[in-house]
Amino acid sequence: MLTIEKAAWDVMVAHAEATYPNECCGVMLGKGKTVTRAKALDNTYEGAQEDRYEIRPEDLLAADREARKDGLDIVGIFHSHPDCAAYFSKTDLENSCPWYSFVVLSILKGKFDNAGSFLPNAEQTEAPEEELIWPKS
Amino acid sequence: MAKILIPTPLRQFAGGNDTVDVTGATVGEALTALTTAHPDLRKNLYNDAGALRSFVNVYLNDEDIRYLSKDATPLSDGDTISIVPSIAGGR
Ligand SMILES: [Zn+2]
Repeated sequence: MLTIEKAAWDVMVAHAEATYPNECCGVMLGKGKTVTRAKALDNTYEGAQEDRYEIRPEDLLAADREARKDGLDIVGIFHSHPDCAAYFSKTDLENSCPWYSFVVLSILKGKFDNAGSFLPNAEQTEAPEEELIWPKS
Repeated sequence: MAKILIPTPLRQFAGGNDTVDVTGATVGEALTALTTAHPDLRKNLYNDAGALRSFVNVYLNDEDIRYLSKDATPLSDGDTISIVPSIAGGR
């Protein structure tokens, strides 16, 4: 189970809605399975970003340094699916890593609709869904 | 002596440490020292063929070793090695 606190959740939804109709991405920091801080990152995919995202490794390195400095951990990665459900796609699976929770936010017509969290395996063959708790207000 | 920063999810395979000090003349030697001291890390970082998994990038300080001399990249005292995953996706 992954829990996202309100301050972090607000950053994630705002970023996902602001980048619509393109996909957004970012990193979630916290402790254990609780996200206390979210950081929007650049989508560096070269090409149409309506259905693709890519994170610059240097940005993840910087996020890891920030987390260590503040006594936090990288807990997960988030990205959005514009006008598409919150599922873990084949493209997601083939480009994932097994170390983190992957949260997908479904953005329909520019507004947040739903979210899911997934745990890809090392072989990139499956990503079971885990329970996701986010502020419902 | 160089320092390897261990990503949170892998610390359980590194004796719970968030950093591991290693000695070695190159990045490759340092990674070998790491996985020799903590064998459970090996399958998390390398595939069955012994190559780094496709999503694993290794950074020496601020540089991806792929753009330096890969495993043969020389190490200096006080260097920091980071393990950074590649992450992308779509819908
Ligand atoms: Zn996706």
